[in-house]
Amino acid sequence: MRRRRSLVGYVFLLPWLAGFFGLTLGPAMASLYLSFTSYDLIGTPGWIGLDNYVRILTADSKVADSVHVTLLYVAMSVPLKLGFALAIALILNKGIMGLSLYRALFYLPSLLGASVAIATLWRRVFAGDGLVNHVLLQFGIEGPSWVSDPNTALYTLVALSVWQFGSPMIIFLAGLRQLPQDLYEAASIDGATKRQQFWRITLPMLTPVIFFNMVVQTIDAFKAFTPAFIVSGGSGGPINATLFYTLYLYQEAFGYLRMGYAAALAWLLVLTIVAVTAVAFVTQRLWVHYDE
Amino acid sequence: MSRRASRATIDRSRRPWHRTLGFHILLCLCSLVMLYPLLWMFASSVRPNADIFQSISLWPAHWDFSAYPRGWSGLQISFGQFFWNSLIISVLSVTGNVISCSLAAYAVSRLHFPGRNLCFGLMLGTLMIPYQVTLVPQYILFLNLDWVNSFLPLVVPKFMAVDAFFIFLLTQFFRGLPRELDEAAVMDGCSPLRIYWSIILPLSTPALATAAIFTFIFTWDDFFGPLIYLTDIENFTVQLGLRGFLDSAGQSDWSAMFAMAVLTLLPVLALFLFFQRLLIQGIATTGLKR
Amino acid sequence: MDRITLNRRHMLGGSLALGALAGTAKAQTATRIRSYWWGAKERADRTNKVAEMYMAAHPGITIAGETLGWGDYWTRMATQAAGRNLPDLIQMDYGYIFDYARRRALLPLDGFVGKELDLSGFTQPSIDGGKVDGKIYGVSLGLNSTALVYDRETFEQFGIEKPEWPMTWDELGTRMAALTKAANRPGYWGMTDNGGSGPAFEVWLAERGKNMYNDEGKFGADAADMADWFGFWARMRDMGACVAPEVQALDKLDIDTNGVSQGKCALTFTNSNQLVGFQSLNKRKLDMAMYPAGASKTKSGQYLKPSQMFSIAATSKVPAETARLLSYYVADIEAGRVLGVERGIPASAPVRAAIEPALDDLGRKGANYIAFISDKVRDLPPPPPRGAGEVLALMVRMNETIGFRKLSVADAAKQFMRECDSIIARG
Repeated sequence: MRRRRSLVGYVFLLPWLAGFFGLTLGPAMASLYLSFTSYDLIGTPGWIGLDNYVRILTADSKVADSVHVTLLYVAMSVPLKLGFALAIALILNKGIMGLSLYRALFYLPSLLGASVAIATLWRRVFAGDGLVNHVLLQFGIEGPSWVSDPNTALYTLVALSVWQFGSPMIIFLAGLRQLPQDLYEAASIDGATKRQQFWRITLPMLTPVIFFNMVVQTIDAFKAFTPAFIVSGGSGGPINATLFYTLYLYQEAFGYLRMGYAAALAWLLVLTIVAVTAVAFVTQRLWVHYDE
Repeated sequence: MSRRASRATIDRSRRPWHRTLGFHILLCLCSLVMLYPLLWMFASSVRPNADIFQSISLWPAHWDFSAYPRGWSGLQISFGQFFWNSLIISVLSVTGNVISCSLAAYAVSRLHFPGRNLCFGLMLGTLMIPYQVTLVPQYILFLNLDWVNSFLPLVVPKFMAVDAFFIFLLTQFFRGLPRELDEAAVMDGCSPLRIYWSIILPLSTPALATAAIFTFIFTWDDFFGPLIYLTDIENFTVQLGLRGFLDSAGQSDWSAMFAMAVLTLLPVLALFLFFQRLLIQGIATTGLKR
Repeated sequence: MDRITLNRRHMLGGSLALGALAGTAKAQTATRIRSYWWGAKERADRTNKVAEMYMAAHPGITIAGETLGWGDYWTRMATQAAGRNLPDLIQMDYGYIFDYARRRALLPLDGFVGKELDLSGFTQPSIDGGKVDGKIYGVSLGLNSTALVYDRETFEQFGIEKPEWPMTWDELGTRMAALTKAANRPGYWGMTDNGGSGPAFEVWLAERGKNMYNDEGKFGADAADMADWFGFWARMRDMGACVAPEVQALDKLDIDTNGVSQGKCALTFTNSNQLVGFQSLNKRKLDMAMYPAGASKTKSGQYLKPSQMFSIAATSKVPAETARLLSYYVADIEAGRVLGVERGIPASAPVRAAIEPALDDLGRKGANYIAFISDKVRDLPPPPPRGAGEVLALMVRMNETIGFRKLSVADAAKQFMRECDSIIARG
């Protein structure tokens, strides 16, 4: 009885197995191999050992720029996004009327945000003569040319990411609604203030959800591509100010057909994400409280 | 259940009216700021070009819909072709995803076999792998299969459950279905396939619908995949067509640019309006404790 | 080997085929030629019109045209070349044809000459201009050179001396600064910031007696040259003669995003055939002039070159038909009338003779310009090596770096040389 069951399980998994080995594991291994070669899709891959990695880590100023830009982007957008998401979720959880309407309105940008249409809109809105500067002029402030000034270009992309806080907000809301009420009642009876209740009960009990959101949003931020591509016109400019790591990888792979080099870049990205996630998972003991 | 609701009502009755008003003002302001760009974009699409940059108001002084036909035929191929291409790719992706991910989720949540947990772990692991690492070899693979410049590289992987996110979503849902149904069916002599087809699937319509809608939206919005695999302009999706427009006439004819942008957003908007409940619930369940 | 493209065309084609089977009409399979060029709307309109004329004269042939801006054109071509999926008829540039020919991505055309390809009206030099390693890989679509395009009305309005030959770079700078001052309008300057423009640099460098790339494919300038060049443009920015860096950063090197088309300035550095395209986007009257000369005011660093060429992909399934289409574009009189001088002065003598009398103002300006500069230009320089495209991007970036005050001119020049050498060495 058991034996037949186990075979059937794998039958159902056939599509996934084909996908896993053929489109995920296989290519990942192939790309590891390619990262040690020089390959332009026309000839055959030529083994060059660690040359690609050496160049990335020591001799490529664009890599340094793109790492800097990507880390900055992640470090700014994730906390801001989660901060807004949590704040709005807390407000909405207070039993405000029209909750579903607000929730839907805040979620809409998350759905639309990844599209070319929105990135295009953003580029126009933050242009030197764009909507944002027009609004600022009403207050007598003369804004810079946001998208074409290297000092501010990245902020426009951060703003675009934060604009999509609706998705983690919904998860926070769901998490808040799951909080058991008896703790709050007991605390009220003991004379705890609202603020104390927030910091001592709500926040600690929310840490699993915060952790989840943090990991998901961080990984997503590392993968971002479309906004940087559209807002900078594919260049990552000005002066590499919006050169996300993914955009640089795309340029190397499909602009200059340096496939081996791109593969090396990709593997370094994987290692980074794995390292960051590992650190997050390991340090969660320090601050995440799981309901036991 | 009453406990959960009671907190909100306790809060509501205890809260002074000015705090409630304060919250509402804050929320209203926030929604307005967030949605302003979208509304402005629509307003600009029905304004003559000259008016766009002067005004920040959401109500056009002169309504002018000519941007829509202008943008529609702005590139040498009409946007209609792009919409059609996007539709085909999205519908096929939805089909593939729903079939393959539900099969995998069923196996992992309802069937027992050695290595089941390992498989599930691997599925979750693939969520963390950035697509960049498989990008180059996948491209080479499709190049050698002569599939580049067709829809195949975009659609066929969907039939192979590469979107682990949906396996995860469906697994969560299936785990919530009572096991007694399975056990009863087994005693009646049903094969696992029949259980899957006749019992689990019909009960999972909300989850399947959620997966379908999300897949549609993600595929519709996908830019990178079509960017590298679709080279012939006739195969472009709306996202590529829009970007092509941006690079050419879009730099001067902004109302046409925004008109086309609005059109590309409409399907997603429509799905959102009709199915927001499903979508929001879908997102919410991913964050809850496994 | 049909590529499996699941699109409407295929489905429509499928149902049409079924219908034809049911009918009695003899089925004639349409030959499909894909063509690919860069340019703005003006060029697309003309190119498509010629395609339509050809299709009308040759039922059974369909021509599918595709066009992109300069920025994306080469990226797309690289990917398609790697995918062995290049369009049949490709527009090529002098700077890239060597690379693609040597990569065997292009078809040698010698076999078609005299048969499908009529080059009888071409002079030997114009044919030679498209040769790589002795074989013909590209056919010239027209002759052009670099040129300043400027807004004559604005110059006259503010009484600024026009940039006529001969004029030094510094003189140009002074006039542009004066224009900015006279216009006295925020967001409006004299000229675009062309410190990042490879072609402009090439002309300037040639006036100092050096080629941008020498015969061995090495970069011909040194750090001192770069410091002088970037320094000139830094002075221009400080004087207010050219647009601010954040405005220049929006220029994607095509006509639509150029400062003149966007109403931000009155003069730009471009190519002579683009006058037509620029005028179609600008309401004010535009004129053309030569690039500034060296200090002695006698030598120009400009040269005449095939503005663009048409080549045929080596992987084309319909080479003979494509060659016939190519011949139509370059040698047919009617096609020549439609194309005009938008891609440069036609290389074929009969076509030139036919369109000369009918040239409109713009066309006449173009023809006169080429005639005017013919005795002042130098010879065609050696072709650029692989990596030249990246060096162009590097120039833009370095110019921006100085403009946004991230690096001094001297430091930027040094860094430029470092990265440039690295790019060329990489190959």
